[in-house]
Amino acid sequence: MNSKLKMFISGGVIGLVGVVLLILGNPGNMGLCIACFWRDITGALGLHRAGVVQYIRPEIIGIIFGSAIMAFIGGDFKSKGGSSPFVRFVLGFFLMIGALVFLGCPLRMIFRLANGDLNALIGLFGYVSGIFIGIQFLKKGYSLGKSIEQSQIAKYIMPIFGLVLLIFLVIRPAFILFSTEGPGSMAAPVIAALVGGLIVGALLQRTRICTAGGFRDLMLIKDTHFLFGLLGIFVFALAGNLIFNFDSFNLGFANQPIAHTNHLWNFLGMALVGLCSSLLGGCPIRQTVLASQGDSDAGITVLGLVMGAAFSHNFGLASSGAGPTSNGQIAVIIGLVVVSIIGYAVTRKSQLKVK
Amino acid sequence: MVETYCVVTFESTQHSLMFEKLLKDNKLGVKLMPVPRQLSSSCGTAAYVSCDEKDRILELTKINNIPISEFHILEVSKSGSILSKFMKK
Repeated sequence: MNSKLKMFISGGVIGLVGVVLLILGNPGNMGLCIACFWRDITGALGLHRAGVVQYIRPEIIGIIFGSAIMAFIGGDFKSKGGSSPFVRFVLGFFLMIGALVFLGCPLRMIFRLANGDLNALIGLFGYVSGIFIGIQFLKKGYSLGKSIEQSQIAKYIMPIFGLVLLIFLVIRPAFILFSTEGPGSMAAPVIAALVGGLIVGALLQRTRICTAGGFRDLMLIKDTHFLFGLLGIFVFALAGNLIFNFDSFNLGFANQPIAHTNHLWNFLGMALVGLCSSLLGGCPIRQTVLASQGDSDAGITVLGLVMGAAFSHNFGLASSGAGPTSNGQIAVIIGLVVVSIIGYAVTRKSQLKVK
Repeated sequence: MVETYCVVTFESTQHSLMFEKLLKDNKLGVKLMPVPRQLSSSCGTAAYVSCDEKDRILELTKINNIPISEFHILEVSKSGSILSKFMKK
């Protein structure tokens, strides 16, 4: 019980950080969203040219540093890798496409739900369904293989990338793009966002809270340890929104900020995210944290997310408030097929090994 | 006061499920759970088992060819304060 309470409170702090960042200026129901924030960074680097979603989100920099520092203190800062990197890249790529059709990663899904957006409930059903399908592969032996120790330099890559992003954010060179309108232009003050990210990164590294892990363990081994972290995020974010942010609380489907009401594609988009997350062993935020503590496989996954974000906007796959695009719908179907084939092929190979 | 408990870790989720079934079939106590924080920064699946049965468990996994990663014996301080638990880690 004690450990679950700890998870609940840690999640609660993350929920409150999200509410504070929302009040301080982040886009609607986007106090924290790992997929959206990586997408904004992708845009700021010029890898996609959607002018309304380009910004170097300090929250990501904070999460990288917070995780790396906490891992260093706890002795978890280690170079690891070599567990099917290219497969992980592809899974990260399609994960991002699914997230941008729904309009948010699983973390933002929780924050959307905590501000009354019921479209996120449809997304949650999709997400849990996707994880359920992933679990069937896990049960039959799916494993991307054991990671092994890598060269010492590997663990510094993500923190150095975070530092480079911070430098770009501060000196704003001409080749870095910053939105002047739209969600990319809406942001909490840099210092607040950095500090919020630091707190969230440190907590996530310590607690290992993962949106995919929470539901996976509930369904697979009937364990609620990680789920209490997710409940903490939801309950505290809901309470925070009701107390400090009541004007923006809007229970229902229609007129939600940066969301659409197409149930089918909200469901399927998040189903793709759930399937990819369970096959990767972690949702986007967990991948970001692991990458920051020296896990090269997670680092490659993050690059997959970035690549997915670039393609999503370059090919018109990402949804808007008006709804999903037909290109996006086709991409989600392709994603579900490709990822299922990956799940099947990896499972089949490991079954042969066990025999 | 220090409490001792035992945890088995695995390389894949499937191995943990096979292990759980093996122990249940042999009427041994087993409970799957997330890998304890002290052991790993990953969030995989481990099995909580009785320390008294260590030899029997290791023998069974060997005979039945169930791959396990490691058998850990953990000590947790039960002094009550959350701080002391953190210090222990």
